[in-house]
Amino acid sequence: MNAAPPLEKDVVPDPTPPENGLSFVEEIHNLLHASVGNPISSCIQCGTCAATCPVASGGFMEHTPRRIIALIRAGFKEQVLKANTFWYCASCYQCTVRCPRGIDIAELMYGLKRYTVWKTQYQKGLIGPVFSETFVKMILRTGRSYEPILATTYIFTFGLPEMIQEAQNGTALMLKGRLPLLPPRIKRLENFKRMIRRIIPLGDSE
Amino acid sequence: MSQPKRLLIIDDDPDFVAGIKSILVKAKYEVDVAYNPKDGFQALKDKAYDLLLLDVMMGRGAEGIMVARKLGKDPNLRNMPVLIITGIREQMAFLFPGQAVHPHFVSVDELVEKPVEPKLLLDRVQALLIKSAEARKTNSK
Amino acid sequence: MKTYAYFPGCSLEKMAQSYHLSALETTRVLGVELKELEDWNCCGATAYFHVDELLAYTLSARNLAMAEKEKLNLVAPCSGCYKNMYFTREHLLRDPDLAEHINDALAEDNLRFSGSANVQHLLEVFVHEVGLKEIRAKVTNPLKGLRVAPYYGCQILRPRKDHEDIEQPRYFEELVGALGAEPVDYPLRLRCCGGALILTNRVAALSMVRNLLESAVKAGAAVVATACPLCQVNLECYQKQVNKEFGTEFYLPIMYFTQLIGLALGIPPKRLGIGSEFVAVMPAIAEARDADPVPTGK
Ligand code: SF4
Ligand code: SF4
Repeated sequence: MNAAPPLEKDVVPDPTPPENGLSFVEEIHNLLHASVGNPISSCIQCGTCAATCPVASGGFMEHTPRRIIALIRAGFKEQVLKANTFWYCASCYQCTVRCPRGIDIAELMYGLKRYTVWKTQYQKGLIGPVFSETFVKMILRTGRSYEPILATTYIFTFGLPEMIQEAQNGTALMLKGRLPLLPPRIKRLENFKRMIRRIIPLGDSE
Repeated sequence: MSQPKRLLIIDDDPDFVAGIKSILVKAKYEVDVAYNPKDGFQALKDKAYDLLLLDVMMGRGAEGIMVARKLGKDPNLRNMPVLIITGIREQMAFLFPGQAVHPHFVSVDELVEKPVEPKLLLDRVQALLIKSAEARKTNSK
Repeated sequence: MKTYAYFPGCSLEKMAQSYHLSALETTRVLGVELKELEDWNCCGATAYFHVDELLAYTLSARNLAMAEKEKLNLVAPCSGCYKNMYFTREHLLRDPDLAEHINDALAEDNLRFSGSANVQHLLEVFVHEVGLKEIRAKVTNPLKGLRVAPYYGCQILRPRKDHEDIEQPRYFEELVGALGAEPVDYPLRLRCCGGALILTNRVAALSMVRNLLESAVKAGAAVVATACPLCQVNLECYQKQVNKEFGTEFYLPIMYFTQLIGLALGIPPKRLGIGSEFVAVMPAIAEARDADPVPTGK
């Protein structure tokens, strides 16, 4: 276990030297090698992102975007990957458009989501990763999204009282004629599936 | 012994790279590493390599597939053997649980799955190098 | 008549059918044809970017390529779809390697992306292509006295698409004004509604919805106008849960901007999909009319 992460206002300690020769911030730069924004090493820790973020300023993120960047640069890999910050990012791009250094912070949040999904290292109990995975699976099968599948997966996976709320809302929408009864699918589905496999060569059996 | 063979690894996982690099160096290969596809292409431009070891999930997504396909179209690099070493089945387990990865949709010479045994790695590397040397011989004849 | 390839997106199929209906009704009156893109696929929403961006680009590129085949520009009523397709086009135009990779995949469906079709949001089509002057001229039932809070939300504006003003935009207000209604200014008009957090972090999203509703109500809004199905659903369908969670008593109608346009153009409410909402719309409209009756005998 690494030492406790720095507090919100204090100075960020020197990066912990990585055992494998590559620092965590370099790893993140590699992850974002195609980003149009500036590298996160150019962050000046001004806090604009944290102040402008509607989720962080509501107190819902364990670490603000600013702090996530500080932690990455200080090499606190485990704390960063286990944080809820990027799973609670609403992709509103407020931080991205306001950052004085032109860092695409929202893209960093996407990147961290990918990174943790690939390594299944995300915080346990979060709904975000399961939701994303279900959604992607659904579209690979039909080409379209279908809300009831999402809601159902969601309830089966979590079964919390707030999910019951979701079911109630779903039923109410059904009664108002606002949810479809059958999942839609695209017509050229076979072509579509082959197209997908040229991007990710998934197994052949259907 | 002749010139040591030059290998390039393109893989974003520093722990994994550290592991296979040490195996390959011990076996007297000369090994360079690029941790993202962009640096990888730069390395391929700067130097000639005898073999590429390529990861799949990097950067934006399955970029290894993009790299392999681009190399396949490049007349200068087309003949360099490519060994894909991927953890994709585990990384994207939710998409195709239990299925083997089929290299059908991208032409590469070999594909092995992570984690890879040192002996298997060395066998595959050697076999590909021999195969490409022979191919070159028949071509020049 | 100007024709667009119309990409309804998954939520308009049913969840936001009233947006779909009102978009078709109003564009017809204004001389714009929305030709539904044949066999369109989901734009990937945000979930795809969490897993594989190349896959996300592929999904959007398929839709773009189909619009190109029709030789039409693409219009999306959903801000999320709009943003995804807009930036897919940008990325592919900037990165030829990426475009080639994706075109290799599109070939499986006999398609090819070249970038010839551009992408617009439905709101932009009304404001920039039809134009406020034209809309004003066609208004038969001005929405006099109706205090409307135009809600931009996020992805119409952000990330910045071109050189437009994303900090102080006015076009939504001007559109509302062109309908004879009264646009109200409220601080949170550009703030996020919580988006998909409504499914993945309920409490955070509900509190964001509450802040928005509160901001609009404080400014004296009688209805909120949205241009995105996700915003509409979050702000309307979850109002009851907001009230439960925070002990508030919001009952604020959330309308699609196309529904407002439709009413001002004299289209019957039913044809605009009005009637399937949780927070009734018509009482607010009637109340405004009663308080400020349109002079008869025009
Ligand atoms: S706004 Fe930009 S420069 Fe400022 S703390 Fe955030 S990322 Fe760093
Ligand atoms: S994009 Fe994410 S991190 Fe940035 S301001 Fe919005 S919610 Fe916060």
